[in-house]
Amino acid sequence: MNTEHQEWLEQLEKKSRAKQEHVMNDIASKLRRPRQTHAPTQPFRGAPAFWTDLEWDIDKRIQAFTDNFVSVGAHIARVRDIGEASDFIANKSHELSAKYIIRQNEQALTDLGLEEQLPDVQISVWNSQAEENWKARAAEADIGVVMADYATAYTGSVTVLSSPEKGRSVSLLPTVLIIIIPIERLYTRLGETLDRFDEAGRENLPAGIHFISGPSRSSDIENDLTIGVHGPGIVYGLIMG
Amino acid sequence: MKVSLFITCLSDAIYPRVGEAMVRLLAAHGVRLDFPPVQTCCGQPSYNSGYWDETRVAAKTILEAFDDSDFVVCPSGSCTYMIHHYPELFVDEPVWLEKAKRLEAKAYEFTQFLVQVLGITDLGAHFPHKVTYHPSCHGSRLLGVKDEPMVLLSAVKGLEFVPLPYGEDCCGFGGTFAIKMPDISGAMVTEKVDHIKETEAEVLVGLDMACLMNIAGNLRYRNEPVRVMHLAELLYEGVQTG
Amino acid sequence: MSQPGVMDVTVKERAELALNDDFLRKAVKFTTERLRNGKKSASEEHGNWEEWRERGRQIRLHTIAHLDYYLNEFVNNARANGVHIHFADTSVEAAAIALDIAAHKQASTVVKSKSMVSEEVHLNHVLESAGIEAIETDLGEYIIQLAGEAPSHIVIPAIHKNRYQIADLLSKEAGEILEPDTTVLAGFVRKKLREKFLEADIGMTGCNFAIAETGSMVLFENEGNARMVSTVPKTQITLMGMERIIPSWTDLEVMATLLPRSATGQKLTMYMSGITGPRRTEDGDGPDEMHIIIVDNGRSLQLGDPEFQELLNCIRCGACLNACPVYRHIGGHAYGGTYSGPIGAVLTPALNGNIDEWNDIAGASSLCGACYEACPVKIPLHDMLVYLRRRKVEEGHGNKLESAGMKGFAAVVSNSKRFGAAIRLGQIGQKAVVRNNGISLKLGPLKGWNSYRVAPSLAKRSFRQQWNKLDQELNQDKKEMDSSVRDRMEQILREREGGGGQHEH
Repeated sequence: MNTEHQEWLEQLEKKSRAKQEHVMNDIASKLRRPRQTHAPTQPFRGAPAFWTDLEWDIDKRIQAFTDNFVSVGAHIARVRDIGEASDFIANKSHELSAKYIIRQNEQALTDLGLEEQLPDVQISVWNSQAEENWKARAAEADIGVVMADYATAYTGSVTVLSSPEKGRSVSLLPTVLIIIIPIERLYTRLGETLDRFDEAGRENLPAGIHFISGPSRSSDIENDLTIGVHGPGIVYGLIMG
Repeated sequence: MKVSLFITCLSDAIYPRVGEAMVRLLAAHGVRLDFPPVQTCCGQPSYNSGYWDETRVAAKTILEAFDDSDFVVCPSGSCTYMIHHYPELFVDEPVWLEKAKRLEAKAYEFTQFLVQVLGITDLGAHFPHKVTYHPSCHGSRLLGVKDEPMVLLSAVKGLEFVPLPYGEDCCGFGGTFAIKMPDISGAMVTEKVDHIKETEAEVLVGLDMACLMNIAGNLRYRNEPVRVMHLAELLYEGVQTG
Repeated sequence: MSQPGVMDVTVKERAELALNDDFLRKAVKFTTERLRNGKKSASEEHGNWEEWRERGRQIRLHTIAHLDYYLNEFVNNARANGVHIHFADTSVEAAAIALDIAAHKQASTVVKSKSMVSEEVHLNHVLESAGIEAIETDLGEYIIQLAGEAPSHIVIPAIHKNRYQIADLLSKEAGEILEPDTTVLAGFVRKKLREKFLEADIGMTGCNFAIAETGSMVLFENEGNARMVSTVPKTQITLMGMERIIPSWTDLEVMATLLPRSATGQKLTMYMSGITGPRRTEDGDGPDEMHIIIVDNGRSLQLGDPEFQELLNCIRCGACLNACPVYRHIGGHAYGGTYSGPIGAVLTPALNGNIDEWNDIAGASSLCGACYEACPVKIPLHDMLVYLRRRKVEEGHGNKLESAGMKGFAAVVSNSKRFGAAIRLGQIGQKAVVRNNGISLKLGPLKGWNSYRVAPSLAKRSFRQQWNKLDQELNQDKKEMDSSVRDRMEQILREREGGGGQHEH
């Protein structure tokens, strides 16, 4: 970033910090009390107690996740291990005549051995080298392959976290999205995943935390549902384990 | 025990038979209503339009009328609910504020009084007609009167109940709203009557004469032969023929 | 906040346009019904909805009551994450800051995801005037942008357009005839906007919630465009109302439970994204530079006002629009402001702080309370509409005719003698116009009423005129109260004396 731009940003920050005091003082004065400078006790924090008790056994979690995911037009397959997952992806790739695939740069996904399974397909590994336009690679990809960091049965959602090895674009730009969901990462409630972020604390959070609950959709035209507006229109969840 | 009738200005001036039905029905069960004549109007029309000084004038007649009553019974959910605004209206007048809080605790809409206070759900009525029910907004949403009328209707012999599609939708009266925004109000009551026609009911029953007056007006305008009755009138007629 | 010249036309006149537009009414009715039913199924299926609503309300109330703490925490944490924070008191300031950033980045194209605040501050207009292309990427917003119109519903902005109109608009854009088929039309938009996402200099978003403890912002969407604009372009600008704060991620579970179900009947939107700062140095995507503009624009005016502070609880779900019978009949544009429906009817005057200018919107309600019943955070909008009306009267902007009428009303109801006399007068006076116990005259205040109804006549004898006779008749045949009934009533009286006994409602 050039110094002029940096200077301008610093100037804005100075202004902003001064304004900040002003804004907070104004809020306190409108509320007719002195500034609240330490954390107030939250009388009600998070979900009601009866909810946080909810926990389903693994079979129910798998069933609920499947039902929810399928109900919004996504697809589910059960695979025993990474080998079966790899076969599934290879078959899909043939079926869809995919030319380009992009996957996250994770060991678990390297273990898929897609490069061996699909020698004729251009397989990109996110951010695996500098000087490559990874967003473009994701945009041209027919299939994006990611592994869920967490999953929630109650809402039929997966959670993916960004990192240098895991691009946000990989689960967003391709036409088809394949998500591998290890069953030990499948929880009952959304809160079980959300709580982790509170526990982790600000400094340990990635830039992008994305909950994905199915294919992209819209009903903006005469309430007629259309799938695949901006994000992937075809979504596969591979429940593994 | 002093059990008093809060007649409401609409029932007083236009639909006295509703008041009469209530009085007679309760008298048959040994509950005599008295009628403190000091009452005029609950003040809703001016309250809803933002004229609170004028509302206080009306409210004071109600507070005075029922000051020493033990129970106050009213054939309107919206007028009964209006009483819950009285503490807010008299927040700066301690004498009236005290009366308002006491009145809040003892005021009941008619079906609330029958079911919750008297514990009476079957009046021995016989009313062999097809009936649909419109739940007035203030009564059902704000005062919470939902089960009581259904319980009473289900005990009426021979009555064929048909639910009103989108029954919980507002009829479009809204007091001065119907005067100030007549076309929107007109569209809403037209839709309400369209739904009533769908039920093919002979009778529309309700708990609030404001709504019923509004709906009856449109039914008549469209020459629809549906009879419009307050639940008290229906029950009283049913008891007489029962 | 408003379309140019819109305040020259009253709500009544705008409503008339809507009432006469058959397609609009059918479209609005169909959509609101679909959404309303969706909410009903989703909330019933989930269960314990009232407890969740109360929870949501408590979390929002608490946050707003301590907004100086939580907003401050959010700002400090967001800055620590590398976000550039800006404060805008007014809509003009907010747009100016956004323009300043865009100019410094020498941006020629901005891609935007859904943001009501950006509508509030007329951002597109400001950017376009400076020669910057600002493209709405939400399908509905894109459509109305092409049409040059404002959104008519918070969640489904192009509800008022039929597919033929949409096909026309998109065909012009495509330079070829597109079939009025949803898949074809959406397919065109996907392709067209893809190019824009990839080449845009700046991505702009709104903000559904901002988490104070970690300085993160949360976006709910179904299409994927909000993720696009916050992942692909090198610079991100987010517009955020200052009240959009929640304390923690665990509190987000409550909002994520209430919002999608209330808005569209979904368990969760297809995408829910938590963004904590710009990209990390080693990340391969995400913006290099991230700005959040915190917008006041009248929100802080509600703080400390016991009648309107709860307005800030709003999570912009649109459930009140879908529940409102008036909205269903007149659609969103009749409300004249950025926000329509019941929330708009209160927000617009409240944010503007000038009741007199936006007076008639608060009048377009029958106070049925459906909005309050639908609101996932229990905002008493039906009460607030009355407060607005009262403030208008108190400030001397009441309608002269209405004020005179109310004075007359007060005179009549001030005591029962006058009241009785007025009724007697009416009974005599109406004889000239009553036919078959009805009045069809379309004159004066009866004109509107009798355009759709036959008004009732006053009874020949009022209740109070008949009372003595009725009372005496019943004295002839006194019945005894059943002892169980008497016991119940006495029990209630005892409970009341004891301080309890507030009967249920």
